[in-house]
Amino acid sequence: MAENVERRMAQPGRPRPWRRLSLPYVLVFLIVGYLSVFILFPITQQFLTSFSNNVVGVDAVRWVGLRNYERLWEDDDFWFAVRVTFIYMFFVVVGSVSLGMLSALLLNRKFRGRSMARSAIAIPWAFPEISAVLVFIWMCNPTFGVMNVFARWIPGIDENLSWLSDPDMAMPLVIALSVWKAFPFTFLVILAALQAVPRDLYEAAEVDGAGRLQQFRFITIPEITPTLMLMAVLMSIFAFKQFTLIWLTTGGGPYGGITETLVLRIYQTAFRFFDLAYGATLGVAGFVIVLGLTLLFVYVQQRQDRARGR
Amino acid sequence: MKASAHAKYRFRQVSAGVLFYALIIGFCVIVLFPVYWMIVNAIQPLSYGMRYPPSLLPQEISFQPFITLFQNYPVARWLLNSLLLATMTTLLVLALAVLGSFAMTFLKWRGKAAFGLLLLMTQMLPEALVVIPVYAMYRELGLSNSLPALSLIDAAFILPICIWVLKNAFDSIPEEIYEAALIDGCTPLSALIRTLLPLSAPGMVAVSVVAFFYAWNEYLFAVTLISSPDNRPVSVGLASLKVMLDTPIDRVLAAALFFSIFPVIFYLLIQRYIVAGLSAGAVKG
Repeated sequence: MAENVERRMAQPGRPRPWRRLSLPYVLVFLIVGYLSVFILFPITQQFLTSFSNNVVGVDAVRWVGLRNYERLWEDDDFWFAVRVTFIYMFFVVVGSVSLGMLSALLLNRKFRGRSMARSAIAIPWAFPEISAVLVFIWMCNPTFGVMNVFARWIPGIDENLSWLSDPDMAMPLVIALSVWKAFPFTFLVILAALQAVPRDLYEAAEVDGAGRLQQFRFITIPEITPTLMLMAVLMSIFAFKQFTLIWLTTGGGPYGGITETLVLRIYQTAFRFFDLAYGATLGVAGFVIVLGLTLLFVYVQQRQDRARGR
Repeated sequence: MKASAHAKYRFRQVSAGVLFYALIIGFCVIVLFPVYWMIVNAIQPLSYGMRYPPSLLPQEISFQPFITLFQNYPVARWLLNSLLLATMTTLLVLALAVLGSFAMTFLKWRGKAAFGLLLLMTQMLPEALVVIPVYAMYRELGLSNSLPALSLIDAAFILPICIWVLKNAFDSIPEEIYEAALIDGCTPLSALIRTLLPLSAPGMVAVSVVAFFYAWNEYLFAVTLISSPDNRPVSVGLASLKVMLDTPIDRVLAAALFFSIFPVIFYLLIQRYIVAGLSAGAVKG
Protein backbone atom coordinates (compact mmCIF):
# COMPACT_ATOMS: atom_id res chain seq x y z
CA MET A 1 0.00 0.00 0.00
CA ALA A 2 2.72 2.46 0.98
CA GLU A 3 4.55 1.60 -2.19
CA ASN A 4 1.44 2.42 -4.12
CA VAL A 5 1.24 5.86 -2.56
CA GLU A 6 4.86 6.61 -3.28
CA ARG A 7 4.42 5.63 -6.88
CA ARG A 8 1.41 7.89 -7.20
CA MET A 9 3.14 10.77 -5.53
CA ALA A 10 6.23 10.30 -7.62
CA GLN A 11 4.39 10.83 -10.86
CA PRO A 12 4.94 14.45 -11.79
CA GLY A 13 2.62 16.45 -13.95
CA ARG A 14 -0.50 14.49 -13.07
CA PRO A 15 -3.52 16.75 -12.94
CA ARG A 16 -4.73 15.35 -9.66
CA PRO A 17 -2.60 17.33 -7.17
CA TRP A 18 -3.66 20.55 -8.78
CA ARG A 19 -7.25 19.50 -8.82
CA ARG A 20 -7.08 18.41 -5.23
CA LEU A 21 -5.70 21.77 -4.21
CA SER A 22 -8.30 23.72 -6.08
CA LEU A 23 -11.26 21.60 -5.02
CA PRO A 24 -11.88 23.37 -1.68
CA TYR A 25 -11.83 26.75 -3.39
CA VAL A 26 -14.33 25.56 -5.98
CA LEU A 27 -16.66 24.26 -3.27
CA VAL A 28 -16.34 27.35 -1.10
CA PHE A 29 -16.77 29.60 -4.10
CA LEU A 30 -19.99 27.75 -4.86
CA ILE A 31 -21.37 28.32 -1.37
CA VAL A 32 -20.12 31.85 -0.91
CA GLY A 33 -21.49 32.66 -4.36
CA TYR A 34 -24.84 31.24 -3.43
CA LEU A 35 -25.00 33.15 -0.16
CA SER A 36 -23.80 36.29 -1.94
CA VAL A 37 -26.67 36.27 -4.41
CA PHE A 38 -29.34 35.72 -1.80
CA ILE A 39 -27.96 37.37 1.32
CA LEU A 40 -24.84 39.49 0.84
CA PHE A 41 -26.05 41.25 -2.31
CA PRO A 42 -29.40 42.21 -0.74
CA ILE A 43 -27.60 43.45 2.38
CA THR A 44 -25.31 45.63 0.27
CA GLN A 45 -28.34 47.01 -1.50
CA GLN A 46 -29.88 47.86 1.85
CA PHE A 47 -26.75 49.79 2.77
CA LEU A 48 -26.95 51.76 -0.46
CA THR A 49 -30.67 52.38 -0.17
CA SER A 50 -30.20 53.76 3.32
CA PHE A 51 -28.31 56.70 1.80
CA SER A 52 -31.10 57.54 -0.63
CA ASN A 53 -34.60 58.96 -0.42
CA ASN A 54 -36.25 55.92 -1.97
CA VAL A 55 -39.91 55.87 -1.06
CA VAL A 56 -42.42 53.98 -3.17
CA GLY A 57 -44.00 56.56 -5.48
CA VAL A 58 -41.10 59.03 -5.44
CA ASP A 59 -39.89 59.56 -8.99
CA ALA A 60 -36.53 61.18 -8.45
CA VAL A 61 -34.54 58.85 -6.26
CA ARG A 62 -31.31 60.55 -5.25
CA TRP A 63 -28.60 60.32 -2.65
CA VAL A 64 -29.28 62.16 0.55
CA GLY A 65 -26.13 61.34 2.47
CA LEU A 66 -26.61 60.69 6.15
CA ARG A 67 -30.05 62.25 6.35
CA ASN A 68 -31.77 58.93 7.12
CA TYR A 69 -29.28 58.29 9.88
CA GLU A 70 -29.91 61.71 11.40
CA ARG A 71 -33.59 60.88 11.35
CA LEU A 72 -32.85 57.52 12.93
CA TRP A 73 -30.91 59.14 15.73
CA GLU A 74 -33.83 61.39 16.61
CA ASP A 75 -36.54 58.84 15.97
CA ASP A 76 -38.19 58.01 19.29
CA ASP A 77 -40.12 55.16 17.69
CA PHE A 78 -36.84 53.56 16.65
CA TRP A 79 -35.36 53.75 20.14
CA PHE A 80 -38.62 52.49 21.54
CA ALA A 81 -38.48 49.51 19.15
CA VAL A 82 -34.89 48.83 20.23
CA ARG A 83 -36.02 48.86 23.83
CA VAL A 84 -38.90 46.51 23.07
CA THR A 85 -36.51 44.23 21.19
CA PHE A 86 -34.13 43.97 24.12
CA ILE A 87 -36.90 43.50 26.67
CA TYR A 88 -38.37 40.73 24.54
CA MET A 89 -34.94 39.15 24.04
CA PHE A 90 -34.09 39.32 27.72
CA PHE A 91 -37.24 37.59 28.91
CA VAL A 92 -37.24 35.00 26.14
CA VAL A 93 -33.62 34.11 26.93
CA VAL A 94 -34.13 33.97 30.68
CA GLY A 95 -37.43 32.12 30.33
CA SER A 96 -36.34 29.51 27.82
CA VAL A 97 -32.94 28.80 29.36
CA SER A 98 -34.24 28.51 32.92
CA LEU A 99 -37.30 26.49 31.95
CA GLY A 100 -35.13 24.28 29.72
CA MET A 101 -32.70 23.79 32.57
CA LEU A 102 -35.41 23.02 35.14
CA SER A 103 -37.06 20.44 32.91
CA ALA A 104 -33.69 18.94 32.01
CA LEU A 105 -32.85 18.59 35.72
CA LEU A 106 -36.24 17.00 36.32
CA LEU A 107 -35.65 14.41 33.62
CA ASN A 108 -31.99 13.81 34.37
CA ARG A 109 -32.60 10.64 36.31
CA LYS A 110 -33.79 7.23 35.36
CA PHE A 111 -37.48 6.55 35.73
CA ARG A 112 -40.13 4.60 33.93
CA GLY A 113 -41.61 6.57 31.04
CA ARG A 114 -38.69 8.95 30.81
CA SER A 115 -38.29 8.78 27.06
CA MET A 116 -42.02 9.38 26.68
CA ALA A 117 -41.85 12.46 28.89
CA ARG A 118 -38.85 13.69 26.92
CA SER A 119 -40.70 13.33 23.61
CA ALA A 120 -43.75 15.06 25.07
CA ILE A 121 -41.78 18.05 26.30
CA ALA A 122 -39.98 18.32 22.97
CA ILE A 123 -43.17 18.48 20.90
CA PRO A 124 -43.55 22.30 20.94
CA TRP A 125 -40.20 22.54 19.20
CA ALA A 126 -41.54 20.53 16.25
CA PHE A 127 -44.90 22.27 16.39
CA PRO A 128 -45.25 24.80 13.55
CA GLU A 129 -45.16 28.43 14.63
CA ILE A 130 -48.33 29.34 12.80
CA SER A 131 -50.35 26.52 14.33
CA ALA A 132 -49.07 27.62 17.71
CA VAL A 133 -50.14 31.18 17.00
CA LEU A 134 -53.62 30.16 15.88
CA VAL A 135 -54.36 28.03 18.90
CA PHE A 136 -52.82 30.60 21.22
CA ILE A 137 -55.01 33.37 19.86
CA TRP A 138 -58.04 31.16 20.33
CA MET A 139 -57.04 30.28 23.89
CA CYS A 140 -56.71 34.00 24.63
CA ASN A 141 -60.01 34.94 23.07
CA PRO A 142 -61.63 37.40 25.49
CA THR A 143 -65.10 35.89 25.07
CA PHE A 144 -64.64 32.17 24.60
CA GLY A 145 -60.97 31.60 25.42
CA VAL A 146 -60.08 28.79 27.77
CA MET A 147 -57.49 30.99 29.47
CA ASN A 148 -60.42 32.75 31.15
CA VAL A 149 -61.34 29.46 32.81
CA PHE A 150 -57.83 29.15 34.24
CA ALA A 151 -57.58 32.82 35.19
CA ARG A 152 -60.81 32.57 37.16
CA TRP A 153 -59.27 29.86 39.31
CA ILE A 154 -57.16 32.64 40.76
CA PRO A 155 -59.04 34.26 43.63
CA GLY A 156 -60.10 37.80 42.91
CA ILE A 157 -60.62 37.35 39.18
CA ASP A 158 -64.26 36.89 38.33
CA GLU A 159 -64.60 38.31 34.91
CA ASN A 160 -63.02 37.54 31.56
CA LEU A 161 -59.80 39.33 30.76
CA SER A 162 -58.98 40.98 27.47
CA TRP A 163 -55.62 39.20 27.11
CA LEU A 164 -53.84 40.17 23.88
CA SER A 165 -55.70 43.45 23.55
CA ASP A 166 -54.69 44.48 27.05
CA PRO A 167 -51.51 46.58 26.70
CA ASP A 168 -50.18 45.29 30.03
CA MET A 169 -50.63 41.66 29.10
CA ALA A 170 -49.72 41.61 25.40
CA MET A 171 -45.95 41.53 25.90
CA PRO A 172 -45.91 38.89 28.66
CA LEU A 173 -48.24 36.73 26.56
CA VAL A 174 -46.07 37.01 23.45
CA ILE A 175 -43.04 36.18 25.56
CA ALA A 176 -44.84 33.18 27.06
CA LEU A 177 -45.71 31.90 23.60
CA SER A 178 -42.13 32.35 22.41
CA VAL A 179 -40.72 30.61 25.47
CA TRP A 180 -43.17 27.75 25.00
CA LYS A 181 -41.94 27.37 21.42
CA ALA A 182 -38.24 27.75 22.26
CA PHE A 183 -37.54 26.03 25.58
CA PRO A 184 -37.81 22.43 24.31
CA PHE A 185 -34.68 23.00 22.28
CA THR A 186 -32.68 24.26 25.26
CA PHE A 187 -34.17 21.40 27.27
CA LEU A 188 -32.90 18.78 24.81
CA VAL A 189 -29.43 20.28 24.59
CA ILE A 190 -29.03 20.89 28.35
CA LEU A 191 -30.23 17.35 29.04
CA ALA A 192 -27.56 16.05 26.68
CA ALA A 193 -24.97 18.19 28.46
CA LEU A 194 -26.10 16.94 31.90
CA GLN A 195 -25.72 13.37 30.77
CA ALA A 196 -22.25 14.08 29.47
CA VAL A 197 -21.03 15.11 32.95
CA PRO A 198 -18.62 12.34 34.02
CA ARG A 199 -20.20 10.06 36.66
CA ASP A 200 -16.95 9.68 38.59
CA LEU A 201 -17.00 13.37 39.49
CA TYR A 202 -20.17 12.78 41.50
CA GLU A 203 -18.79 9.59 43.00
CA ALA A 204 -15.63 11.35 44.10
CA ALA A 205 -17.70 14.15 45.61
CA GLU A 206 -19.85 11.66 47.45
CA VAL A 207 -16.75 10.01 48.91
CA ASP A 208 -15.65 13.45 50.05
CA GLY A 209 -18.98 13.84 51.81
CA ALA A 210 -20.58 16.42 49.54
CA GLY A 211 -24.36 16.60 49.78
CA ARG A 212 -26.76 16.73 46.85
CA LEU A 213 -26.91 20.50 46.88
CA GLN A 214 -23.15 20.88 47.05
CA GLN A 215 -22.72 18.44 44.17
CA PHE A 216 -25.12 20.50 42.15
CA ARG A 217 -23.40 23.75 43.06
CA PHE A 218 -19.80 22.61 42.58
CA ILE A 219 -20.04 19.97 39.84
CA THR A 220 -23.21 20.27 37.78
CA ILE A 221 -23.27 24.04 37.45
CA PRO A 222 -19.62 24.52 36.41
CA GLU A 223 -19.82 21.57 34.02
CA ILE A 224 -22.84 22.84 32.14
CA THR A 225 -22.15 26.58 32.31
CA PRO A 226 -20.61 26.68 28.81
CA THR A 227 -23.73 24.98 27.41
CA LEU A 228 -25.96 27.41 29.28
CA MET A 229 -24.03 30.35 27.88
CA LEU A 230 -24.28 28.97 24.38
CA MET A 231 -28.01 28.43 24.79
CA ALA A 232 -28.39 31.99 26.02
CA VAL A 233 -26.69 33.26 22.88
CA LEU A 234 -28.70 30.98 20.58
CA MET A 235 -31.93 32.02 22.26
CA SER A 236 -31.09 35.69 21.93
CA ILE A 237 -30.57 35.11 18.21
CA PHE A 238 -33.89 33.27 18.04
CA ALA A 239 -35.60 36.16 19.82
CA PHE A 240 -33.89 38.85 17.79
CA LYS A 241 -34.88 37.20 14.50
CA GLN A 242 -38.41 36.41 15.59
CA PHE A 243 -41.06 37.72 13.22
CA THR A 244 -43.86 35.20 12.77
CA LEU A 245 -44.79 34.66 16.42
CA ILE A 246 -45.07 38.37 17.20
CA TRP A 247 -46.46 39.56 13.89
CA LEU A 248 -49.31 37.08 13.79
CA THR A 249 -50.33 37.35 17.45
CA THR A 250 -50.25 41.10 18.11
CA GLY A 251 -48.93 42.62 14.89
CA GLY A 252 -46.84 44.88 17.13
CA GLY A 253 -49.86 46.15 19.03
CA PRO A 254 -52.38 46.17 20.59
CA TYR A 255 -51.46 49.84 20.09
CA GLY A 256 -48.54 52.20 20.30
CA GLY A 257 -46.14 49.51 19.13
CA ILE A 258 -45.69 48.04 22.60
CA THR A 259 -44.79 44.64 21.17
CA GLU A 260 -43.17 45.98 18.01
CA THR A 261 -39.59 44.73 17.87
CA LEU A 262 -37.05 46.15 15.46
CA VAL A 263 -37.69 43.38 12.94
CA LEU A 264 -41.40 44.21 12.87
CA ARG A 265 -40.65 47.91 12.65
CA ILE A 266 -38.49 47.32 9.55
CA TYR A 267 -41.24 45.30 7.92
CA GLN A 268 -43.89 47.91 8.73
CA THR A 269 -41.77 50.80 7.49
CA ALA A 270 -41.18 49.16 4.14
CA PHE A 271 -44.41 47.32 3.48
CA ARG A 272 -46.93 49.54 5.17
CA PHE A 273 -45.45 53.03 4.89
CA PHE A 274 -43.51 52.13 1.72
CA ASP A 275 -40.53 54.08 3.02
CA LEU A 276 -37.86 51.84 1.54
CA ALA A 277 -34.94 54.12 2.37
CA TYR A 278 -35.82 54.46 6.04
CA GLY A 279 -36.68 50.77 6.26
CA ALA A 280 -33.20 50.04 4.93
CA THR A 281 -31.70 52.40 7.51
CA LEU A 282 -33.47 50.53 10.28
CA GLY A 283 -32.14 47.36 8.67
CA VAL A 284 -28.58 48.65 8.90
CA ALA A 285 -29.17 49.37 12.59
CA GLY A 286 -30.37 45.78 12.93
CA PHE A 287 -27.28 44.61 11.10
CA VAL A 288 -25.08 46.36 13.67
CA ILE A 289 -26.87 44.43 16.41
CA VAL A 290 -26.31 41.20 14.45
CA LEU A 291 -22.60 41.99 14.29
CA GLY A 292 -22.57 42.46 18.06
CA LEU A 293 -24.36 39.15 18.57
CA THR A 294 -21.90 37.39 16.24
CA LEU A 295 -18.95 38.69 18.22
CA LEU A 296 -20.64 37.57 21.44
CA PHE A 297 -21.19 34.13 19.92
CA VAL A 298 -17.54 33.82 18.87
CA TYR A 299 -16.45 34.91 22.34
CA VAL A 300 -18.70 32.40 24.10
CA GLN A 301 -17.60 29.67 21.72
CA GLN A 302 -13.94 30.34 22.36
CA ARG A 303 -14.47 30.36 26.09
CA GLN A 304 -16.27 27.06 25.79
CA ASP A 305 -13.47 25.53 23.73
CA ARG A 306 -10.97 26.71 26.30
CA ALA A 307 -13.09 25.28 29.12
CA ARG A 308 -13.08 21.94 27.33
CA GLY A 309 -9.35 22.16 26.98
CA ARG A 310 -9.31 22.27 23.20
CA MET B 1 -39.89 -1.02 66.20
CA LYS B 2 -37.62 -1.93 63.35
CA ALA B 3 -40.57 -2.85 61.18
CA SER B 4 -42.20 0.51 61.72
CA ALA B 5 -38.99 2.36 60.84
CA HIS B 6 -38.82 0.35 57.69
CA ALA B 7 -42.45 1.09 56.90
CA LYS B 8 -41.80 4.77 57.50
CA TYR B 9 -38.86 4.68 55.12
CA ARG B 10 -40.95 2.88 52.48
CA PHE B 11 -43.72 5.36 52.91
CA ARG B 12 -41.37 8.27 52.38
CA GLN B 13 -39.87 6.63 49.33
CA VAL B 14 -43.24 5.88 47.79
CA SER B 15 -44.61 9.33 48.46
CA ALA B 16 -41.49 10.91 46.98
CA GLY B 17 -42.02 8.75 43.91
CA VAL B 18 -45.66 9.76 43.67
CA LEU B 19 -44.73 13.40 44.06
CA PHE B 20 -42.09 13.09 41.36
CA TYR B 21 -44.50 11.51 38.90
CA ALA B 22 -47.16 14.08 39.73
CA LEU B 23 -44.63 16.80 38.97
CA ILE B 24 -43.61 15.24 35.65
CA ILE B 25 -47.18 14.59 34.56
CA GLY B 26 -48.34 18.03 35.63
CA PHE B 27 -45.52 19.65 33.71
CA CYS B 28 -46.23 17.62 30.57
CA VAL B 29 -49.93 18.46 30.81
CA ILE B 30 -49.20 22.18 30.98
CA VAL B 31 -46.71 22.01 28.12
CA LEU B 32 -48.99 19.99 25.88
CA PHE B 33 -52.23 21.78 26.74
CA PRO B 34 -52.21 24.06 23.64
CA VAL B 35 -51.76 21.01 21.41
CA TYR B 36 -54.58 19.24 23.20
CA TRP B 37 -56.80 22.29 22.96
CA MET B 38 -56.19 22.56 19.23
CA ILE B 39 -57.24 18.94 18.75
CA VAL B 40 -60.32 19.26 20.96
CA ASN B 41 -61.58 22.32 19.11
CA ALA B 42 -60.81 20.83 15.72
CA ILE B 43 -62.79 17.63 16.27
CA GLN B 44 -65.90 18.88 18.00
CA PRO B 45 -68.77 20.76 16.36
CA LEU B 46 -68.38 24.51 16.33
CA SER B 47 -71.27 25.07 18.75
CA TYR B 48 -69.18 23.69 21.61
CA GLY B 49 -66.31 26.04 20.94
CA MET B 50 -68.54 29.10 20.82
CA ARG B 51 -69.83 28.92 24.35
CA TYR B 52 -68.52 30.09 27.68
CA PRO B 53 -67.25 28.48 29.75
CA PRO B 54 -65.79 25.93 27.37
CA SER B 55 -65.73 22.37 28.60
CA LEU B 56 -62.22 21.04 29.06
CA LEU B 57 -63.14 17.69 27.58
CA PRO B 58 -64.47 17.14 24.06
CA GLN B 59 -68.24 16.78 24.21
CA GLU B 60 -68.91 15.22 20.87
CA ILE B 61 -66.61 14.07 18.12
CA SER B 62 -67.37 15.13 14.60
CA PHE B 63 -65.42 15.31 11.40
CA GLN B 64 -67.53 18.16 10.11
CA PRO B 65 -64.77 20.77 10.64
CA PHE B 66 -62.44 18.76 8.41
CA ILE B 67 -65.05 18.20 5.74
CA THR B 68 -66.03 21.88 5.54
CA LEU B 69 -62.36 22.84 5.67
CA PHE B 70 -61.46 20.74 2.65
CA GLN B 71 -64.63 21.76 0.81
CA ASN B 72 -64.22 25.48 1.31
CA TYR B 73 -60.49 26.11 1.23
CA PRO B 74 -57.78 24.74 -1.07
CA VAL B 75 -56.05 23.04 1.86
CA ALA B 76 -54.92 20.03 -0.17
CA ARG B 77 -53.33 22.42 -2.63
CA TRP B 78 -51.57 24.32 0.18
CA LEU B 79 -50.26 21.11 1.69
CA LEU B 80 -48.99 19.96 -1.67
CA ASN B 81 -47.26 23.30 -2.26
CA SER B 82 -45.61 23.16 1.15
CA LEU B 83 -44.50 19.61 0.57
CA LEU B 84 -42.99 20.60 -2.74
CA LEU B 85 -41.34 23.69 -1.30
CA ALA B 86 -39.91 21.87 1.71
CA THR B 87 -38.63 18.95 -0.37
CA MET B 88 -36.87 21.21 -2.85
CA THR B 89 -35.33 23.24 -0.04
CA THR B 90 -34.17 20.11 1.76
CA LEU B 91 -32.51 18.60 -1.31
CA LEU B 92 -30.77 21.84 -2.16
CA VAL B 93 -29.58 22.37 1.42
CA LEU B 94 -28.38 18.77 1.70
CA ALA B 95 -26.29 19.05 -1.47
CA LEU B 96 -24.73 22.38 -0.51
CA ALA B 97 -24.27 21.55 3.18
CA VAL B 98 -22.48 18.29 2.33
CA LEU B 99 -20.05 20.11 0.06
CA GLY B 100 -19.54 22.98 2.47
CA SER B 101 -18.95 20.94 5.58
CA PHE B 102 -16.74 18.56 3.62
CA ALA B 103 -14.56 21.50 2.64
CA MET B 104 -14.50 22.66 6.27
CA THR B 105 -13.43 19.32 7.73
CA PHE B 106 -11.43 17.20 5.30
CA LEU B 107 -9.89 19.71 2.91
CA LYS B 108 -7.01 22.05 3.58
CA TRP B 109 -7.25 25.61 2.34
CA ARG B 110 -6.76 29.19 3.40
CA GLY B 111 -9.60 31.28 4.73
CA LYS B 112 -11.48 28.69 6.74
CA ALA B 113 -11.89 31.04 9.68
CA ALA B 114 -13.28 33.82 7.49
CA PHE B 115 -15.66 31.36 5.88
CA GLY B 116 -16.84 30.23 9.30
CA LEU B 117 -17.42 33.81 10.37
CA LEU B 118 -19.42 34.48 7.22
CA LEU B 119 -21.60 31.47 7.95
CA LEU B 120 -22.13 32.60 11.53
CA MET B 121 -23.15 36.06 10.50
CA THR B 122 -25.61 34.92 7.87
CA GLN B 123 -27.05 32.52 10.39
CA MET B 124 -27.84 35.37 12.74
CA LEU B 125 -29.33 37.65 10.12
CA PRO B 126 -33.08 38.18 10.52
CA GLU B 127 -35.04 37.48 7.35
CA ALA B 128 -36.74 40.84 7.69
CA LEU B 129 -33.41 42.59 7.06
CA VAL B 130 -33.21 41.40 3.46
CA VAL B 131 -36.81 40.77 2.56
CA ILE B 132 -37.22 44.13 0.80
CA PRO B 133 -34.27 43.90 -1.63
CA VAL B 134 -34.99 40.20 -2.20
CA TYR B 135 -38.55 41.12 -3.09
CA ALA B 136 -37.30 43.76 -5.53
CA MET B 137 -34.75 41.38 -7.03
CA TYR B 138 -37.31 38.62 -7.50
CA ARG B 139 -39.77 40.98 -9.15
CA GLU B 140 -37.13 42.24 -11.53
CA LEU B 141 -36.03 38.74 -12.48
CA GLY B 142 -39.60 37.54 -12.83
CA LEU B 143 -39.06 35.02 -10.03
CA SER B 144 -41.81 36.12 -7.71
CA ASN B 145 -44.72 33.77 -7.35
CA SER B 146 -42.61 30.70 -8.01
CA LEU B 147 -42.15 28.01 -5.41
CA PRO B 148 -38.74 26.84 -6.71
CA ALA B 149 -37.48 30.42 -6.46
CA LEU B 150 -38.84 30.65 -2.92
CA SER B 151 -37.00 27.47 -2.02
CA LEU B 152 -33.75 29.11 -3.20
CA ILE B 153 -34.00 31.89 -0.62
CA ASP B 154 -35.23 29.54 2.11
CA ALA B 155 -32.23 27.32 1.45
CA ALA B 156 -29.85 30.27 1.67
CA PHE B 157 -31.13 31.16 5.13
CA ILE B 158 -31.01 27.70 6.65
CA LEU B 159 -27.80 26.59 4.93
CA PRO B 160 -25.30 28.03 7.45
CA ILE B 161 -26.67 26.20 10.48
CA CYS B 162 -26.93 23.01 8.43
CA ILE B 163 -23.27 23.29 7.49
CA TRP B 164 -22.41 23.55 11.21
CA VAL B 165 -24.49 20.52 12.12
CA LEU B 166 -23.03 18.40 9.33
CA LYS B 167 -19.51 19.60 10.00
CA ASN B 168 -19.94 18.17 13.44
CA ALA B 169 -20.93 14.80 12.05
CA PHE B 170 -17.88 14.87 9.80
CA ASP B 171 -15.64 15.90 12.69
CA SER B 172 -16.40 12.64 14.43
CA ILE B 173 -15.17 10.57 11.45
CA PRO B 174 -11.47 9.73 11.81
CA GLU B 175 -9.34 11.33 9.13
CA GLU B 176 -7.66 7.98 8.44
CA ILE B 177 -10.85 6.71 6.84
CA TYR B 178 -10.85 9.52 4.33
CA GLU B 179 -7.14 9.11 3.65
CA ALA B 180 -7.52 5.39 3.17
CA ALA B 181 -10.20 6.03 0.55
CA LEU B 182 -7.87 8.42 -1.27
CA ILE B 183 -5.06 5.90 -1.20
CA ASP B 184 -7.40 3.29 -2.65
CA GLY B 185 -7.76 5.55 -5.64
CA CYS B 186 -10.88 7.57 -4.86
CA THR B 187 -11.03 11.20 -5.87
CA PRO B 188 -11.95 13.48 -2.96
CA LEU B 189 -15.53 13.74 -4.13
CA SER B 190 -16.02 10.02 -4.62
CA ALA B 191 -14.43 9.42 -1.22
CA LEU B 192 -17.00 11.84 0.18
CA ILE B 193 -19.92 10.08 -1.47
CA ARG B 194 -18.80 6.49 -0.98
CA THR B 195 -17.27 6.52 2.48
CA LEU B 196 -18.06 9.72 4.37
CA LEU B 197 -21.76 10.10 3.65
CA PRO B 198 -22.77 6.60 4.76
CA LEU B 199 -20.90 7.24 8.01
CA SER B 200 -22.71 10.48 8.79
CA ALA B 201 -26.33 9.33 8.47
CA PRO B 202 -27.56 10.92 11.75
CA GLY B 203 -26.09 14.26 10.76
CA MET B 204 -27.74 14.05 7.34
CA VAL B 205 -31.08 13.22 8.95
CA ALA B 206 -30.74 16.12 11.36
CA VAL B 207 -29.90 18.49 8.51
CA SER B 208 -32.84 17.28 6.43
CA VAL B 209 -35.21 17.79 9.33
CA VAL B 210 -33.92 21.25 10.12
CA ALA B 211 -34.18 22.32 6.47
CA PHE B 212 -37.57 20.70 6.01
CA PHE B 213 -39.04 22.31 9.14
CA TYR B 214 -37.66 25.68 8.17
CA ALA B 215 -39.23 25.68 4.72
CA TRP B 216 -42.43 24.18 6.09
CA ASN B 217 -42.77 26.92 8.71
CA GLU B 218 -41.29 29.88 6.90
CA TYR B 219 -43.78 32.69 6.63
CA LEU B 220 -42.13 36.05 5.90
CA PHE B 221 -40.55 35.23 2.53
CA ALA B 222 -43.52 33.13 1.50
CA VAL B 223 -46.04 35.87 2.19
CA THR B 224 -44.01 38.56 0.41
CA LEU B 225 -42.83 36.56 -2.59
CA ILE B 226 -45.90 34.45 -3.35
CA SER B 227 -48.93 36.44 -4.42
CA SER B 228 -51.12 34.02 -6.32
CA PRO B 229 -53.43 31.92 -4.11
CA ASP B 230 -52.63 28.84 -6.18
CA ASN B 231 -48.99 28.87 -5.15
CA ARG B 232 -49.51 29.49 -1.45
CA PRO B 233 -47.77 27.16 0.95
CA VAL B 234 -49.72 26.17 4.07
CA SER B 235 -48.03 28.74 6.28
CA VAL B 236 -49.43 31.58 4.18
CA GLY B 237 -52.77 29.86 3.63
CA LEU B 238 -53.23 29.32 7.34
CA ALA B 239 -52.29 32.86 8.18
CA SER B 240 -54.83 34.04 5.62
CA LEU B 241 -57.50 32.10 7.51
CA LYS B 242 -56.55 34.04 10.59
CA VAL B 243 -56.74 37.34 8.77
CA MET B 244 -60.21 36.56 7.46
CA LEU B 245 -61.91 37.19 10.77
CA ASP B 246 -65.07 35.38 9.82
CA THR B 247 -63.42 31.99 9.42
CA PRO B 248 -65.05 29.75 12.04
CA ILE B 249 -62.54 28.62 14.62
CA ASP B 250 -63.16 24.91 14.22
CA ARG B 251 -61.95 25.09 10.64
CA VAL B 252 -58.97 27.26 11.51
CA LEU B 253 -57.86 24.80 14.16
CA ALA B 254 -58.58 21.80 11.93
CA ALA B 255 -56.24 23.38 9.39
CA ALA B 256 -53.67 24.08 12.11
CA LEU B 257 -53.94 20.44 13.13
CA PHE B 258 -53.27 19.28 9.59
CA PHE B 259 -50.34 21.62 9.34
CA SER B 260 -48.72 20.33 12.53
CA ILE B 261 -49.41 16.60 12.29
CA PHE B 262 -46.79 16.16 9.64
CA PRO B 263 -43.76 17.75 11.34
CA VAL B 264 -44.68 16.39 14.80
CA ILE B 265 -44.94 12.79 13.58
CA PHE B 266 -41.84 13.26 11.51
CA TYR B 267 -40.08 14.50 14.62
CA LEU B 268 -41.30 11.69 16.87
CA LEU B 269 -40.19 9.05 14.37
CA ILE B 270 -36.63 10.21 14.05
CA GLN B 271 -36.05 12.12 17.27
CA ARG B 272 -33.18 9.87 18.20
CA TYR B 273 -31.18 11.18 15.25
CA ILE B 274 -32.22 14.75 15.77
CA VAL B 275 -31.27 14.86 19.41
CA ALA B 276 -27.90 13.30 18.64
CA GLY B 277 -27.23 15.46 15.59
CA LEU B 278 -28.50 18.74 16.97
CA SER B 279 -27.22 18.56 20.49
CA ALA B 280 -23.78 17.69 19.21
CA GLY B 281 -24.10 20.57 16.79
CA ALA B 282 -25.24 23.00 19.41
CA VAL B 283 -23.05 21.83 22.27
CA LYS B 284 -19.95 22.01 20.16
CA GLY B 285 -21.17 24.66 17.77
